[in-house]
This record gives sequence, C-alpha cells and structure tokens, in this order.
Amino acid sequence: MINSPICEAVGIKYPIFQGGMAWIADGKLAAAVSNAGGLGIISAMNADSDYLREQIKIAKSATDKPFGVNIMLQSPHSEEVAKVVAEEKVPVVTTGAGSPSKFMEMWIEAGIKVIPVIASVSMAKKMEKCGATAVVAEGQESGGHIGELTTMAIVPQVVDAVNIPVIAAGGIGDGRGVAAAFMLGASGVQLGTRFLVAKECGVHQNYKDAVIKASDISTATTGRRFGGNTCRGIKNAFTRNFIKEEYAPEATSETVANLGVGALRKAAVEGDVKNGSVLAGQISGLITKEQTAEEIITEIFTQAEELLGGASKWVK
Amino acid sequence: MVFEKVAELIAEKIDVDVSEIKEDTKFEDLSIDSLDITEIAMSIEDEFDIEFEASADTKTVGDLVAAVEAKIG
Repeated sequence: MINSPICEAVGIKYPIFQGGMAWIADGKLAAAVSNAGGLGIISAMNADSDYLREQIKIAKSATDKPFGVNIMLQSPHSEEVAKVVAEEKVPVVTTGAGSPSKFMEMWIEAGIKVIPVIASVSMAKKMEKCGATAVVAEGQESGGHIGELTTMAIVPQVVDAVNIPVIAAGGIGDGRGVAAAFMLGASGVQLGTRFLVAKECGVHQNYKDAVIKASDISTATTGRRFGGNTCRGIKNAFTRNFIKEEYAPEATSETVANLGVGALRKAAVEGDVKNGSVLAGQISGLITKEQTAEEIITEIFTQAEELLGGASKWVK
Repeated sequence: MVFEKVAELIAEKIDVDVSEIKEDTKFEDLSIDSLDITEIAMSIEDEFDIEFEASADTKTVGDLVAAVEAKIG
C-alpha cells in the first residue's frame, strides 16, 4: 500500500489524480476515477457555468468520494466558473494555463484545496505562498498544453523548492512511471492519457483508437514557435498543417493563435481524428487497451508497489 | 527609478547589456516567455518588498514597470 501526504490531504485511497482533459474529462469519468480510489477531475475547459454545474451534479450523484474541477485560466468564462466551484464547494480545484492567485482567497475561504498545475520552480513557490495545498509539476511529455521542462527534470527541482506535496505529471503511464515519480520526490501522480482510454471515458471511440494505435514517436508539438501555447498531440493532418502554417515566413503569433480553434472538439466529440486535435502524451505508445478506471488504478499501483518494494535490489 | 531597477533585473536574468532594455522593448523580442516573466516578478517582489504578479497582458518592459509602479503607489 502506497500512502503519501496527498492521500490524507485530499481524502483519497491512492495518490493518483486523473488529468482535467478539456472536452474529455466530464462528471462521469471523474466519478469513476474517484470511486476507484483516485481523484477524478472534471474539466471546466472553455465552457460556461451551466455546463460545469451540470457536470458537478453528475459527479455528485455518482460518487460520495472527493473529486476535483480543473479550471483553465485562459477560458473566457474563468471568472464565472471560479465562482461556481466555490458555491458548489467542490473538494479540490486544479488550475492550468496561468496563475490562479486572484481566485485563491475565495477558494480557500470556501474550504477548497487548491492544487495548481505548474511548469516551473518560481511558479510553484508563488503558489505555495498563495496557500496551495500541493502543486502538480507537469513535464512536457504530457498531452495538451505543456511547458519546456521534462518530468524527470522539473519534479526534483520543485520538490526541493517547496514544502508542500508535489504531484508529478507527464510521461507517466504505468506502475513504473509511478515508482519513478516517487523516487524523484513526488507524493503523487497525475495521469491523463491513460484515463482517456478508460471504459467510463466518453471521448469519441476514434480518439481512443488513435491513442491505442499510437507508438512512442506518434506525438508532436504545435505552437512552439511563438510560445505560450505549446500543445502535444498525436501527429495527423491537423498537426502537419499547423506546423506548416506556424513556420511559414509570414506567420505571426496572432495567425497561429487561430489555427487550433475548435480542433479538440472536432476530434474528441465528432471523432474526426484526421483534421481535429488528438491531444495525448508521449506514453500513448504504452497504452494497448481499454480498461475500467478501477482496473487501471489497481494495475498501476500493484506494479508500483512491487517495484518500490524491490528498490533495494539496486544497492549492494 | 523603477524602470532602472527592473531593467537591471531583466538584464541580469537573460545576460544582456542593460542598455539593450528600453521601456518599449517587447518580451517576445528578448525571447522572454511567461515562465521567465513569473521568475522576474518573483525577483521584483524581493527587490521592492511587494506582493506582485505579472498579468497575462504584460507584453513590454514598460507594462511591467507600470504594474510595479501601480503596486508601489
């Protein structure tokens, strides 16, 4: 049994979070992960407060375990959804794509545990100062929006810089990744791609099939040239066209900003995995089948416990 | 005064001559991204002894200076 400070802090059995994937992580998936002993997370993505209230209702009706909401700070609705999580007293809030400091006081007052996703040491320190319960240190092996550092590099540096638990994310797909993350000093892990193929995940079947089919070198990043919006996804007509347009001599940060609009919805909801954006991480190649959230979590922690238990075999 | 100090912090961080940093210099042109700006903002907090955070609209050195000046009052 792996127990860590984060289990107690958020009230979960296994120190594992399911990533807040936009258009994918809904109330049903979050409840399934929470029921399996992890922390399920609903993505508030770019949607309005009505959508979020509905998903929270779905999650609450399907689980009595704690779950979280991920707030994408660049969303045009971030102010209103930030209020919704406080009103609904969602147990945990994770944030992405920016600094949530202007909402922290309101959330903490509502008794919410705030766990921002960060991509640098300075951001982690800032969040600790603002009262974060923990931080998710995410490496660029992740799918979706990413920073520059890798998980292997960012996790120990953040662990050294803060006194709150650090959750490792990016490039973790099985028990080996979990064991490695704990060795780096993490107190927990966050997985997105692996839960994408959970049986309870409502993403389009074509999207799941694309992840299952993917190999180690199937993903590419878009949006690196002008920075700020780098995204990892499975290589297809969409990424090829994006990269061509992005590196065209006449391209500007403004023209590039429009290239991805609506693309994730196209893949995740409509199932157009050629012209849509199939966001997924570098461990896609490790994923071979659909499983229930419970099977995923049990398998991962059985393997991680076995590995961590045998860690002394390296020391003679 | 604020500009001089901010310019100095930026110059030190990215290792360029402070004379290259003007009020209208864009962070993009210095290859400074949002993560770098967060780090610079942390040094500004220590230097001026203020609670400070750079917003997403911080595009130029002048924007950053104006935000710091607003904090100092």
